[in-house]
Amino acid sequence: MSTSPEALLPNRRLPGDLAMWWFILAEITLFSILILAFAITQRLQPALFAAGRQALDASMGLALTLSLLTSGLLVALAVTRVRQARAGVSALLLAALGSACVYVWLKLSEYAHLLALGLDVEHDTFFTLYWLLTGLHFLHVLLGLVIIAWMAVRAWRGGYHAGNCSGLESGALYWHMVDLVWVLLFPLVYLIGAGP
Amino acid sequence: MSVRALLACWVALVLLSLATVASLGLPSARDTLLVLLLLVLGKAWLIVDGFMELRHAPWPWRALMLAWPVAMALGVAGAALL
Repeated sequence: MSTSPEALLPNRRLPGDLAMWWFILAEITLFSILILAFAITQRLQPALFAAGRQALDASMGLALTLSLLTSGLLVALAVTRVRQARAGVSALLLAALGSACVYVWLKLSEYAHLLALGLDVEHDTFFTLYWLLTGLHFLHVLLGLVIIAWMAVRAWRGGYHAGNCSGLESGALYWHMVDLVWVLLFPLVYLIGAGP
Repeated sequence: MSVRALLACWVALVLLSLATVASLGLPSARDTLLVLLLLVLGKAWLIVDGFMELRHAPWPWRALMLAWPVAMALGVAGAALL
């Protein structure tokens, strides 16, 4: 019997397809550039950023966060359910889709509110970066909706099994990456510098 | 991950999100920034280890994904405080 440290560890496995992980690395690199650009510009123009943040609602940011996190949970539960060969995967994915649609509805409401106030992408540096950062993230959410819907249809047709769920894992990873980026964007855009 | 572990992860994420907004009540802007960034790190690591299931993945991938929010937090803190 082997007593090497590797033998004592559980089987280490990277979920999903390797290509998805490289895609995720590319995506978070892109967001890194925008996040650091936002932080550095905020340092250079603190008063402008504080004024811009007055038009944003932290409770709206919290609601957006909770809808995304709930959707992420439901997708993760769907993956677990496939591995356990249990039914109800497509229902969980549809529920995740519904929660993500709440995010889309809230975000569109926020965008409409800002546009009504004349705070468009050309208003000032804060709103240029706000629209760039949140708009790029929003496009990722929309792509995520398509992926989750496609996975729900495939699950409904019995396309995933315990030994064949790499595609589902990859789609779930993409959605969790969208969550991961948002948990950084939320305080950066809505909260930092908004306190007393 | 087990269903129970995923639910625990989600509850922790919700509580940390509520704490993120509550931290705006801190008297000092510097303290608020540091608390916000620590809460962000906690949430990001929960997503990486829990939802993305990297807790039992090969260590280079786990290290890379856990290091990304740290790098972003250091970048944001550095830009704000230096």
